[in-house]
Amino acid sequence: MSYLYVMKTQLIRSFTYRFDVYGNIIMQTIIMVTTAFFWKALFGSGSFGNGMTADKMLTYTIISSAMSVLFTTGVERRIQRSVQQGSISVEMIHPINVFGVYFAEDMGTIAALLFQNLLPIIIIGSLVIKVPMIVSVSAIPMFAASLVLSMGINWLLAAIFGMWAFTAVEMDALIQVKKHLLRLLSGSIIPIWFFPDSLRAVLEALPFVYIYQLPLDIYVGSASTEDILRRMVIQVIWFAVLGTAFFILQRRVLGKVMVQGG
Amino acid sequence: MIRVNDLHKEYHVVKKGQGLSGAVKGLFKSEKLTVNAVNGLNFHINEGEIVGFIGPNGSGKSTTIKMMTGILTPTSGEVLINGQNITKHRKEAVRDIGVVFGQRTQLNWDLRLEESFELLRHIYRIDKKQYSETLEVMDEILGIGEILSKPVRQMSLGQRMKGDLAASMLHSPKVLFLDEPTIGLDVGTKYSLRKFIKEINRLRKTTVILTTHDLGDIQQLCERIIIINSGVIMEDGNLSEIVERIAPYRTLKVEFYDSDIPKHERAELISEDNNVACYKFFKSELTAAELIRDLSGEKAIKDISIEEAGIDDIIRIAYGIKNVE
Ligand SMILES: Nc1ncnc2c1ncn2[C@@H]1O[C@H](COP(=O)(O)OP(=O)(O)O)[C@@H](O)[C@H]1O
Ligand SMILES: [Mg+2]
Repeated sequence: MSYLYVMKTQLIRSFTYRFDVYGNIIMQTIIMVTTAFFWKALFGSGSFGNGMTADKMLTYTIISSAMSVLFTTGVERRIQRSVQQGSISVEMIHPINVFGVYFAEDMGTIAALLFQNLLPIIIIGSLVIKVPMIVSVSAIPMFAASLVLSMGINWLLAAIFGMWAFTAVEMDALIQVKKHLLRLLSGSIIPIWFFPDSLRAVLEALPFVYIYQLPLDIYVGSASTEDILRRMVIQVIWFAVLGTAFFILQRRVLGKVMVQGG
Repeated sequence: MIRVNDLHKEYHVVKKGQGLSGAVKGLFKSEKLTVNAVNGLNFHINEGEIVGFIGPNGSGKSTTIKMMTGILTPTSGEVLINGQNITKHRKEAVRDIGVVFGQRTQLNWDLRLEESFELLRHIYRIDKKQYSETLEVMDEILGIGEILSKPVRQMSLGQRMKGDLAASMLHSPKVLFLDEPTIGLDVGTKYSLRKFIKEINRLRKTTVILTTHDLGDIQQLCERIIIINSGVIMEDGNLSEIVERIAPYRTLKVEFYDSDIPKHERAELISEDNNVACYKFFKSELTAAELIRDLSGEKAIKDISIEEAGIDDIIRIAYGIKNVE
């Protein structure tokens, strides 16, 4: 499979050439430790309404930081670069889908980051804060399933965003804004249970919370099984909706490139 | 092999106003311009031909190549490769073609050359044996062995071009398209490139279609040329016949020992610069030998050279003739 080969090449390349791994580890560690201290100070040794304890909150923080590694995407920049340099039409000479290639590249990068970033973050978290254990062994399959869907939703959002934004001049700024907005709206730093009910309702209708909050809730056990299942259904729906949107958009973008000449 | 039927391409471009007022106006209404890049091309290319596609800048060569390789959708008309419509059956039809753009690489900047090749091997599902055979042949012709482990971004233009040429042939396409492949190359690399084209044409019967502004490329490679201007075919046929017909003259450059330059009644003196003179003469009226004999009868000659009419001349004249008609 050529996409698998793309992924493999990217994996090897990431191991050989990546220099920015330490920067990300340091950044994530700072965020993680600061957030952890914040929760500790806020909770003390008490507990919050829905059975949340400071201890669980710390697990939440560490796993959230580790998960952020899985949501690394290069697809926005890749689209922008290909369109600007006009290389996208040359890439289309080969009998392979260019977006499939971008996806495979991102998966390759993430595979490398599992060892370069995710593992170090969990180890640092375990040493400095606490060992982030999952709430129960039986939660593992559900957590894994929901995490895979999260990664799918995250990638699709990035790709759709990239296709929408490639005409914008200040792409880099837009990417940054999107990245931070996403972290805020997805419950990655502050769980959305802390938000007012009305805002929370809005966020639950948007796809972002299904990237971070849902898998995290499953991991720390901060919601009832019923609630989790309901939200997983919504997650699947979002995945399908975004997948369809992506599929239609990529055909339109490629069609446009082929009509306008890259 | 390749059939092009009434091929048209219109580009629609948004005309941008100048300065601030133009930018503000552009927010409210934009003026659309239509560029007729290709206007009804018809031709047919047989297996094993090497065809030179020539014409001035902006005449629609690249647009035509892009449509023939399936990466640009024609406004109307069709391109058939082995009977398959390239626009409708792009995924299948592209297996039969290889493409090289002089200005753009199909290699991944971040990968080493062999990784790019290996990737293409997977994309086209080329079996290992055939792959290493092709690679060997490519190494023989182009000498790419030493750059295989080099990342593309670190390559010189010449090395990159060799890499691109080899990459385009890995899946053994029946047709190879080259858009200005010799642009910016040094003499040595140009030589390799021409050798490459001749060899793949001879060994594999690969049909080659190339665009170029280089007279040498055309003279050494193409039996047939298609001259295009403003998206219209001006000439299509055998190179020497076209030259014979529309530019049946040559120029003789003579260096004398002093600046007293003799004239000749059947040759036109087109330039003189100190001791050096250029005579334009028609093959039908005068042979080069006669001209040299007559001139050397009048004055002592130090050095001579003969030039065929240049491609630029041919293009200009072909364009001129059509205009008069
Ligand atoms: N992507 C494009 N969008 C709009 N106009 C284009 C585009 N590509 C080429 N053109 C125009 O089409 C004409 C033919 O261009 P091209 O095919 O590149 O010519 P050539 O390769 O012979 O130099 C030119 O007038 C050029 O400006
Ligand atoms: Mg061109």
